[in-house]
Amino acid sequence: MSLMDSLAAGLSLVGNVEAFFMLFCGLVIGVIGGAIPGLSATMAVALTLPFTFSMAPINGILLLLGVYKGGIFGGSIPAILIKTPGTPASSATILDGHPMAERGEAGRALGMALYASCTADAVSNLALILFAGWLASFALNFGPPEFFALILFSLTIIAGVSGESLLRGALSALAGLLLATVGLDLVYGTNRFTFGDPNMMGGLNFIAVLIGLFAIPEIIAMAWNPVAHLGRARALGKTRCTLADYLGSFKSIIRGSMIGVFLGSIPGIGAAPSAFLSYSEARRTSKNKANFGKGEIEGVAASEAGNNGVAGATLIPLLALGVPGDVITAIIIGAFMVHGLQPGPMMFILNVDIIYGLFIGLIVSSVFLLIVGSVAIRGFRFVADVPKRILMPAVLILCIYGVFAVNNNIFDVGVMFVMGWLGYIMMRNRIPAAPFLIAFILGPLLEDNFRQSMLMSGSDPLILFRGPITWFFWLLTGVTVLAITRSTLRKRVPLS
Amino acid sequence: MSEKSLHLRLGIFMSLFALFLVLYAIPSFVFAPSNVGKIVLSPLFWPYVLAGLAGIVGLALIANALTSAQDTPFEDEETEHPEGAAPWMRLGALAVIMVLVMFGLPRLGMVWTAMLAFAACAFLFRTRHPILALVCAVVVPLLLYAFFAHVAGVAIPQGNLVRLP
Repeated sequence: MSLMDSLAAGLSLVGNVEAFFMLFCGLVIGVIGGAIPGLSATMAVALTLPFTFSMAPINGILLLLGVYKGGIFGGSIPAILIKTPGTPASSATILDGHPMAERGEAGRALGMALYASCTADAVSNLALILFAGWLASFALNFGPPEFFALILFSLTIIAGVSGESLLRGALSALAGLLLATVGLDLVYGTNRFTFGDPNMMGGLNFIAVLIGLFAIPEIIAMAWNPVAHLGRARALGKTRCTLADYLGSFKSIIRGSMIGVFLGSIPGIGAAPSAFLSYSEARRTSKNKANFGKGEIEGVAASEAGNNGVAGATLIPLLALGVPGDVITAIIIGAFMVHGLQPGPMMFILNVDIIYGLFIGLIVSSVFLLIVGSVAIRGFRFVADVPKRILMPAVLILCIYGVFAVNNNIFDVGVMFVMGWLGYIMMRNRIPAAPFLIAFILGPLLEDNFRQSMLMSGSDPLILFRGPITWFFWLLTGVTVLAITRSTLRKRVPLS
Repeated sequence: MSEKSLHLRLGIFMSLFALFLVLYAIPSFVFAPSNVGKIVLSPLFWPYVLAGLAGIVGLALIANALTSAQDTPFEDEETEHPEGAAPWMRLGALAVIMVLVMFGLPRLGMVWTAMLAFAACAFLFRTRHPILALVCAVVVPLLLYAFFAHVAGVAIPQGNLVRLP
């Protein structure tokens, strides 16, 4: 199929009001979700997921992508106005955004955040369109041994989402891998940790696990300390972001977008490191170096470009290889699966209309983000005033309905509650939940490809090193593990 | 709590958990056919590998705790964790609400259970808007019912008492 044919197929799928309306709704939900501290873009995507079950696949996925992109931008609003990042990716925005808000220039900072976000988003989407197809055509040569090596490399994602301690991240990932073994064995069909319960035979429901891990712990945390969320929002002020401001920061925006695209396309790095790297590069090369950290508008532009540049690029490994780039794309994989789609190279052959439909939707999303973001900046006060102690019970009820709707099964609601308490215990013990979820998704794929490879070779492990592609991924895994070990050892304080 | 004590605690737990898996859970709850020729193809292989890795991570955590010189408490320890028995009681109450939800769903139906759970949670979180909380407790579950039952076509449990259209 030629490029024009593929584009026409995609357009036939999304060329209707409903698809664009869903994308727009997604952006609105995302911006609101990202703007409410404690709700986060991840939770907004997880909570929106059940509403997509009854939709056409393309509409459901566009809705979730809208939530994702809106959520990443939305996080910058509380970062600037109340010094609390709505998402971890917005942490770098605080450095210069909040000092600007304290000076009465919140409107200018938010305007720059929006323009930088939209520009970076567009650059990121272009990168996705250019590189995903190329990577997928390369991945068509992959067999089980190549996929095993790729997934093993992807598990190094865990280092990127482990937060302050790699060992605690590894612990979380192992728990996820172990939980993924529950259910019937993939080859022999025998029971593994099912305790004779038929509900467990299909394994634990992915949506119940993810909502349990990401939404319920916040509700439990609210029970622990109901006043932890209270903060004071700054006024927007009278100054606005001008064209001169934008052009003055344009170099940093493009550089930040490129950094975002590069880091986003590598599974596991995520938006926060990209934002900080973009910020530090902008500070290093800026004429106003001394103003950084005191309310420099170029700092806001660089950090927002860095974190939004990731949004489209994380979809490159997701669509081309079926490997999540970060925790939100891990949730979006769940949406693909719910709709009977398997992201990966074969999707570029079997569902090319959906792929190109998504590309078209993503291009439009940058324009929609500009519209939604402009309104959200002015309306933040209303979002900030939503009483959290009413919002959280509403989230709980939404979780119950949403998780039940996956399989019409009350057992899944119980799984969600149990996972919620596990997530809360992990939160209290500073064990990150993201490695758990990524391992829970990748675990069965890793085991499946390993056992298929063993079946192919008559249990000869050398098949896992059978050609240049596997060597490449083994080498990447080795180099990544070495780099992680080195940086972990460097961070440690020696015993005196 | 400091990172050192946290790692020591987690390391001991993880090591014991790995032992529990290897000695009891995997032999008791993972079943393999007797005719599996190669160990790598057995349903037992992967769980044992993961249990082994869990043991290694547990030991690494212990080693990390024992060799680390840092013993300073985490910065946000005091602000994140209020003192007294009230937080523990609220946690216990939330756990009871969740258990009651599980009992209520098949008996009362999802809508009525959700209404009660919403109101109970809002008051447990000491809401400053009790009237609004009660209104939301009624409206939110009804709206979600309308969407899931009539738009998404999900068979929402109706319970044995009052049935909704």
